[in-house]
Amino acid sequence: MTDGPLLWYLNRGTGVVLLVLLTVSVVLGVLAMGGRPGRGVPRFVTQTFHRNLALLSVLMLLAHVASAVIDTYVDIRWWQALVPYGATYRPLWLGLGTLSLDVIVVVVLTSLLRTRLGHRSWRAVHLLAWAAWALSVAHAIGIGTDLAHPDGLAVLPTAVCVGAVGVAAVARIARAVAHPELTTARGPA
Amino acid sequence: MSAPAPSPVPVPGRVRIQRGPALLAGVDEGPTLAAHRSRYGPLPTVPLAELDRRVSAVGLRGRGGAAFPFATKLRAAAGRRPVVVVNLSEGEPASAKDTALALGRPHLVLDGAVATARALGSRDVHLVLPADRPDAAAQVRLAVAERKDRVRFRLHTADARFVAGQARAVIELMAGRPNLPVTAWAPEAVSGHRGRPTLLSNAETWAHVGHLVLAGEATYRAHGTAEEPGTALLTITRPGFDAEVLEVPYGVRLRDVLPPFATGHPALVGGFHGAWATWETLGATRVSVPAMAAVGLPLGAGVVHVPDPGSCPVAFTSAVVDYLAGQSAGRCGPCLNGLPALAVAVRAMAQGRDAAARIDELTRLVARRGACAHPDGTVRLVRSLFGALPEEVAAHRAGACLALPSGAASRRVVAR
Amino acid sequence: MSAQLRVDWPACQARGLCHELLPEVVELDEWGYPIVTGEVSEELLSDARAAVRGCPRLALRLVD
Repeated sequence: MTDGPLLWYLNRGTGVVLLVLLTVSVVLGVLAMGGRPGRGVPRFVTQTFHRNLALLSVLMLLAHVASAVIDTYVDIRWWQALVPYGATYRPLWLGLGTLSLDVIVVVVLTSLLRTRLGHRSWRAVHLLAWAAWALSVAHAIGIGTDLAHPDGLAVLPTAVCVGAVGVAAVARIARAVAHPELTTARGPA
Repeated sequence: MSAPAPSPVPVPGRVRIQRGPALLAGVDEGPTLAAHRSRYGPLPTVPLAELDRRVSAVGLRGRGGAAFPFATKLRAAAGRRPVVVVNLSEGEPASAKDTALALGRPHLVLDGAVATARALGSRDVHLVLPADRPDAAAQVRLAVAERKDRVRFRLHTADARFVAGQARAVIELMAGRPNLPVTAWAPEAVSGHRGRPTLLSNAETWAHVGHLVLAGEATYRAHGTAEEPGTALLTITRPGFDAEVLEVPYGVRLRDVLPPFATGHPALVGGFHGAWATWETLGATRVSVPAMAAVGLPLGAGVVHVPDPGSCPVAFTSAVVDYLAGQSAGRCGPCLNGLPALAVAVRAMAQGRDAAARIDELTRLVARRGACAHPDGTVRLVRSLFGALPEEVAAHRAGACLALPSGAASRRVVAR
Repeated sequence: MSAQLRVDWPACQARGLCHELLPEVVELDEWGYPIVTGEVSEELLSDARAAVRGCPRLALRLVD
């Protein structure tokens, strides 16, 4: 079982799904902040969706890591899933994925403790979600075997994800420029 | 964005200080420590229990505008080495009483704070100086340099902004953050500077404490009434004249402390966050915190503005609201959006349009919806125009103005 | 036991979630900022806590 193709498929599949989940989380995070209240989808729906997808991606991340570690075809140890340095199998690309995982864990934990942290500290940490997403994309491109072939199944989803976050990032920056008062870290800590 | 509207009453370049019965008794002797000590003698050490007893017995209240009992603050802060803060920032341009104390009686103010700090076991006394009153700030620095107290004076300079002198804004300044109000979840005396209990009062309050410590309770009670002993500082302002600071005993009629040119005209009592009063009201009202609160005429920081005879109080109110709207820290949504809208509506009324319904709506939207009392004070001023001067309001709603360039003053008196 | 909903005004940025989550107690003014119309009753306490947690700016507090 630990050397069969099942784990290998599971790892590739969860990887692609993860990329989609993280992307949608980021886009929803931006959407939850924008627009005017009272128009379109209620904001708490967007916000709840953003949170639940992010939590779901943590579960998916667990499956992704577990399938990679348990699979004996590649030599990845448990600690290598958490420490972004010193891996034996494609150390740079695996390290980027590991770093992404670490950042995601911090972002999720701080969000669960948000009411105790205060808005300003939470927000500073939460902005790292952009970095986690970018690291995960780099990890996917570098290590993902399905992306090595232009006709691979993962190429289109990855391209769509990069495009979606690109649009979200542009919208976010445009809003920050138009309404600087909404995005500066103000108010009590 | 256009520049914020200027204050209709500028920060006084010069202040006329009249000699008074208690705090301002030694004002002719100069601001030096030697003159101060020769009048009062050395600063005695007063135990906390005795200080508490004295400030309770005379019913000393804060003189910054809220008139909060000083003894309540003292007791809330006692026991945990509170931070003592003397607020000299005087954010309201029309007020000059703390400036007058800084210029004329700085050691009385400092003695009040030092005696209290000693009684509480506090080592630090923070002094918050105004940025836009350089003479007053310089005199306080000189006074600090003269003293050899066993406390550390820590000096801060508040921004030249109306809301910069608000208690929470001052505590933000002391912590190195922007000098703007924030939400207070607990009184400063419980959780203030860096979360520590903080005894923050303005200069006049500390001067009263100083007088009470140096001269004793009997001398303090020599002025005022049995229920409300002591004196209060007033700033009288009038367009084109230096601000005048005088000390009056509690219980005198407001009308009797006003200069002759005020006769027959309405005045703005309590400053820009205050209320309009007719000449009749000024005659019927005595200088007293409870009596004035009962008729909706808060003494506030003690500013009485007497407009030019024959000038339009609606137009003046509009200019004040324009100024106050520009002085919002811009952090609280209802104030940020509501005060400019209110300024537009009041200006429309001053120009002879009927904006009363919109003004009423906006005052409801703005009141009690901010971190500080800035929106509330602005609302009080606007509402007082409707309450105290209904004829002027009615005339403007009908497109007219009672204040005509000539003969208006006499006409107004005849009309009543 | 009822409670009061208090707004940290400088923190509030008119996102409006409090109105969506607690329309019984929170209305919005013409600029989108909350108007707290009354006390939070016993039955509404859990909704009010959700509104406090859900505020994107953490600008709400329940006080007794």
